[in-house]
Amino acid sequence: MPDDVTVTSAEWLDRARSLKQDGWWFSDLCGVDLLHSGARVATGEEDERFLVVAQFLNHKTKQRLMVHVPATGEPPTVASIVSVFPGAAFFERETYDLVGVVFEGHENLSRIMLPDEWEGHPLRKDYGVGKVEVQFVEQPLMQIQAPGQSPRGEEARQEVDRLGQSVVTEDGEGRPMSAADRRPRT
Amino acid sequence: MSTVSPEVVRRLEDEGSGAYVETFDETQERMVINMGPVHPSTHGVLRLLLELDGETVMECQPKIGYLHTGIEKECEDQSWRGAVVCVTRMDYLASFFEEQAYCMAVEQLLDLEVPARGQYIRTMISELNRISSHLVGFGTQGLDMGAMSAMFYGFREREVILDFFEMVSGLRMNYGYFVPGGVWEDLPDGWEDAVDSITHLMGYRIDEYEELLSENPVFLERTRGIGVITAGEINELACSGPIARASGIDWDIRRDMPYEAYGDVEFNVPVRTEGDVYARYKVRIDEMRETVKIVEQLRAKMPDGDFKNMDPKITHPPRTELNRSMEAVIHHFKLSTQGFSVPPGEVYCAVESPRGELGCYAVSDGGTSPYRVHVRDPSFANLQTLAPMARGGLVADLIASIASIDPIMGGVDR
Repeated sequence: MPDDVTVTSAEWLDRARSLKQDGWWFSDLCGVDLLHSGARVATGEEDERFLVVAQFLNHKTKQRLMVHVPATGEPPTVASIVSVFPGAAFFERETYDLVGVVFEGHENLSRIMLPDEWEGHPLRKDYGVGKVEVQFVEQPLMQIQAPGQSPRGEEARQEVDRLGQSVVTEDGEGRPMSAADRRPRT
Repeated sequence: MSTVSPEVVRRLEDEGSGAYVETFDETQERMVINMGPVHPSTHGVLRLLLELDGETVMECQPKIGYLHTGIEKECEDQSWRGAVVCVTRMDYLASFFEEQAYCMAVEQLLDLEVPARGQYIRTMISELNRISSHLVGFGTQGLDMGAMSAMFYGFREREVILDFFEMVSGLRMNYGYFVPGGVWEDLPDGWEDAVDSITHLMGYRIDEYEELLSENPVFLERTRGIGVITAGEINELACSGPIARASGIDWDIRRDMPYEAYGDVEFNVPVRTEGDVYARYKVRIDEMRETVKIVEQLRAKMPDGDFKNMDPKITHPPRTELNRSMEAVIHHFKLSTQGFSVPPGEVYCAVESPRGELGCYAVSDGGTSPYRVHVRDPSFANLQTLAPMARGGLVADLIASIASIDPIMGGVDR
């Protein structure tokens, strides 16, 4: 079993710096929602609902180290260690995306797995499994901006019939495609 | 580590990121283009935002999540045994390693011992999986460099190994063969001959691969000195596996922190110092050779005995017992309806997958299903090295770098 250390969010950045100086290699970071009491017993963290767990490895002494950082406040916040371990960038973004822990000092803290418009954080315990409506925002079919690109861009957005011919409406213009038109024809 | 600025990305996405995104800044003569998620050489649904100056890549930002299926969340809805078939779907080319990491984590929580035969079977199967995974890496590396025949040869031998997996587990992918306590079923009759034929075949086929690519002038031109990354950057970016070993980091969990049966076998860990695409290719080829040696040793030393822990609280009783013993029927009923419960605790277990350190962090609240399962996938961490590799190179070199990282998007997005 690896050693288990708990540090507060305020000490976390300094602690990460000293770990790096001691030759520890950052290996993993994830978030846990301790909504249920059983998990608080398991992790030994009683006070806060959200916990950030980081794993380190020392190549020289061949030891592993597990660090607990309870996330305080609303939204739950923890200091970012990207300035010390740049490799933590993806892991912090993932934790923000799926558990909703905010990492203070992270340059580009945005959703990494889910679309940017997504509401909620799926790995929280009050977020149900299954039967949750999938949220996607309709995007335009094609975006052509640079000069010299296909002048037929506008046509590409227009509805076509079964043979691929543009559908012409009464006023002589093609009808723009709607979401229903874009479904595959059977 | 700077990337394409968040404002640029935000603006491009607000303007609509349908099929592709392009901007052209006339003052700086820089162009931001979108590559993927549907592109033949991005190894799945990897999307990259590139900032180009002519054909030189100035910045590269991977955008991921197109294959996100919420497997970690799904595990929380399964029994401890059932979650094996969820984690195996992450990195679909090296499924056995996820099963191994997860099962080791559960066994550590349960304080459950795996019989020697079970450990040997697991180690041997995982090592064969390493060959089949590296063969895909070899094939796609060649394919991206224009050597299409490498793909055919790589997939030809992979087929032989997948046939063996089918013989053992009944499935060609997403096996669910490892279970907490050992493996689901003992090796079938005739497995010795099947393993012998694979090791014999690979012994000389790896030489053939080397003849095909290792001294091919076109391949050398496209890989030597391309996508160089230093040991310092590797350590900063939490990168592991063949990529780290190609940059001179002499670390392999199998050798340095042995788990399962790795303590009983002898093998070398290939390390190179160049840190370019060619070094990563060479490390993978040399690793396959070492893996063949490991499989031969495990095949020779395979012990007899139980292949899984027969504790009736964890493992279903043998079928014949059900006719004789009421107790066996009760155990069978409990295990089938609700599964076994695991004492409260948390654990992190790591194995050396073909792509690096694959770790499983599991929390139990004492119930019959996992409270939280998190998998540290090596592809996810390794993908961060793409930006330093690509910076300053050509777009064509970027393709070589992606192939040399060998990312599996199922593992990246989970």
